[in-house]
Amino acid sequence: MSAITLAAWRLERRREQRPGARFVGLAVALAGALILCSLLFVAAGASPLHAFSALLKGSFGSLRATGETLVKATPLIFTGLAACVAFRARIWNIGAEGQVFAGAMCAFWIQHNLAGFPAAVQLPVIVIASIVGGALYAGIAAVLKTRFSVDEVISTVMLNYIIVYVLSLLLLNGPWSEAGGFFEQTARIDKSAWLPVLLSGTRLHAGFLLALAAAVLVQILLSRTPLGYEIKAAGSNLRALEVQGTNVRRVILVVLLVSGALAGLAGITEVYGVHHRLKAGAIMGYGYTGIIVAILGQLHPAGIVVAAILFGALVNGGTLMQIETGVPSALIYAIEAILLLFFLGGWSACNFRLRRVRHA
Amino acid sequence: MDTTTPARLSVRHLTKSFGQMVANQDISLDILAGELHCLLGENGAGKSTLSSCLYGLYQPDEGEIRIDGAPVDLNSPGDAIRAGIGMVHQHFVLVPTFTVLENIAVGTGSGLSLDRRSALRRIAVICEEYDIPLAPDRLAGDLSVGEQQWVEIVKALYTGARLLILDEPTAVLTPDESRKLFAVIRRLIDDGISVMLISHKMTEVMQSDRVSVLRKGRLVATVKTAEVTRDKLTAMMIGGQPPSAARAQRDTVGSGQVLSVRDLTLSRDGRPALGEVSFDLAAGEILGIAGVSGNGQDDIFECLAGLTTPDSGSIAIEGKALLHASPAEMAGRGVGYVPSDRFRDGLVSDLTIAENLTLGQQWSSRWRKGPLLDRTALDTNAETAIADYAIAAPGPSARCGKLSGGNAQKVILAREFAKARRILLCNQPTRGLDVGAVGFVHRELQRKRDEGCAILLASEELDDLFQLADRIMVMFRGRVMATLDTQAATYEQVGHLMAGQEKQAAAA
Repeated sequence: MSAITLAAWRLERRREQRPGARFVGLAVALAGALILCSLLFVAAGASPLHAFSALLKGSFGSLRATGETLVKATPLIFTGLAACVAFRARIWNIGAEGQVFAGAMCAFWIQHNLAGFPAAVQLPVIVIASIVGGALYAGIAAVLKTRFSVDEVISTVMLNYIIVYVLSLLLLNGPWSEAGGFFEQTARIDKSAWLPVLLSGTRLHAGFLLALAAAVLVQILLSRTPLGYEIKAAGSNLRALEVQGTNVRRVILVVLLVSGALAGLAGITEVYGVHHRLKAGAIMGYGYTGIIVAILGQLHPAGIVVAAILFGALVNGGTLMQIETGVPSALIYAIEAILLLFFLGGWSACNFRLRRVRHA
Repeated sequence: MDTTTPARLSVRHLTKSFGQMVANQDISLDILAGELHCLLGENGAGKSTLSSCLYGLYQPDEGEIRIDGAPVDLNSPGDAIRAGIGMVHQHFVLVPTFTVLENIAVGTGSGLSLDRRSALRRIAVICEEYDIPLAPDRLAGDLSVGEQQWVEIVKALYTGARLLILDEPTAVLTPDESRKLFAVIRRLIDDGISVMLISHKMTEVMQSDRVSVLRKGRLVATVKTAEVTRDKLTAMMIGGQPPSAARAQRDTVGSGQVLSVRDLTLSRDGRPALGEVSFDLAAGEILGIAGVSGNGQDDIFECLAGLTTPDSGSIAIEGKALLHASPAEMAGRGVGYVPSDRFRDGLVSDLTIAENLTLGQQWSSRWRKGPLLDRTALDTNAETAIADYAIAAPGPSARCGKLSGGNAQKVILAREFAKARRILLCNQPTRGLDVGAVGFVHRELQRKRDEGCAILLASEELDDLFQLADRIMVMFRGRVMATLDTQAATYEQVGHLMAGQEKQAAAA
């Protein structure tokens, strides 16, 4: 354990984290992030106050804006939860991106053969199909890891690339491409398969409730079930779990399947809740952003819901900010990164304390 | 106190606390030049905290440390080394792919390059002066644990240590190696170097000049060893009467072979780990395994626990062959396993006591209510175990990573004893435990044996084996050297067999 001494002060690692110190650390991190973001706004030629107020107005300023923020948050809740389940077990599933694609594609594959069936049939089918699709795609990495000891970071990243091109193949003059269309996308999905809108005047769809339900279920899974127990044990000492007779390959397999299933659900909320057609642009990027959301949410389901809504608000508010202040909405991604870095720094800082050195 | 000899190290009113827990309270002691000073205390008495403060790993909250009369501020091991303090930890920190010379000399010089020749000369001088057997060109990874310890000691002397802190140095040594170590310590002392020895072993403690006894973070007293008895020291250490260590005699050994092992052979990384190991174990019997760490004991246990599949041979429990059984199947057959490395193999530090007590049984209907874990059942089970095994913990939801070695071991014992309906495998169950906890483990093992359980007990402490085992099987380089009747065996005989010296053993 090292300590740095500066004059009469010493920086020491804390043995125990105090909640108070944690709160202070996060408050300081938030303040730091806001200051740095303000500097970026100034550099982009806008007043920070104006930019922030536009951001706030754009994200929560009206019922419609709030609904849209929650719509943007929905897939991030799912991919954040996917990362949470895997990362808690120290299984580094970087493949939520591909699993989102797999969930969306599996759902579309089955649903587009169900034309004419009532919504009461189609909706459960797409939900189940997306779960199965995401889980199976993660299952490839799981089998590679448990049978052939292939590192899951490598396999999941590679699988992310593969499925993007498979979708492209299917959409570009393939069996799923829109008849007579120019774009890489399917035809518009029949209204009978759309996720129902929850609030009229907004686009807020049933997928958001599904995401909240998933967060509650994941919380119960982690804290109350034997599998949650195994996830916690695997995250701390996989070897001891194995010595005590648990089949750790099965644990790794199940964790990746659950993680993939959660990511798969993010695919249908976008395809069936927002864009109403399957195209790469509708589902791209959520897997990677979900990792940031999960870490900002401290791998805790409630934290992930909050972090996802924050990110949804930034993306949503960014549009109005660009219109009102001319600050490019792409700056939102910089803000996301700044938030992540400052919060990570804040948490690390909580583990240390400054202490006045006394000489007896 | 001897006022003629100057104090090499003076500690005055040292206090160190971690949160609410006061690990060291107002400790004042002197270590004189050329003194063998023993630090005695149970686990959690504050020995490690005190030595960590002296080596700059922790900074005391209050108090002062002086070296040769001058106050020092030890903010890191680097500061301690510069002040002439060296420490040999229980776990060695050598780089396995470096030679002995490189391990000793790297990082000690001022420049970037290593002056091999002068380093070699200095190491040779140290080895010769103190009669330490070391070959500077061998790779650290090829050395035995005992030899690694020599490297650590030479390294400390190489950096100019005038006070050497040895943390339970004989825990990993054969009786012969231990004697050698004490001979070297004597030479160091004669040369004016001070040695602070942390130990639980009374035979070693009695060889010191003075003893400082710690209990619950406070210094009980510093006494001259010549003026006290072992019993007096034990009483000071535990604050009461020591538990009786007499070997409990029994009339009956249960009948019927429970475990039968034949010609177990295993190689690891191309090297033979086990060679044709055969033995039988009966119900109500304790078979002891003696051997220096790394002579195949761990491999036997891993095969029996279902963690490793032997290359050939057979394992049968009550006549049923079980060579490729998984850990779960072994547990299902009523086999409990207490692994030697408790925090690596036995416990999950982030789980609570209640959870660790059911590790591996998380799907059992006993601990579930439908799909959910039954917290009430887990907690009730843990409360019973905490009471039965006298585990010092705030409650069932205390994290195991915060427990002391002895209490962590009690959690494992509670779990494995409950599992061991037929066979209990115990690998080094008393390693690193204090006198009180060792007595507790002994009593529990005897109780379990009396219930008719067959027990396989490996220990590097010959005391454990001579007090508990009905027979002692001695391992050397993966082979069984001999299996002796405990009544007829002597420490010397076992010691020679542990070193692979059959002739001397026969003579003893």
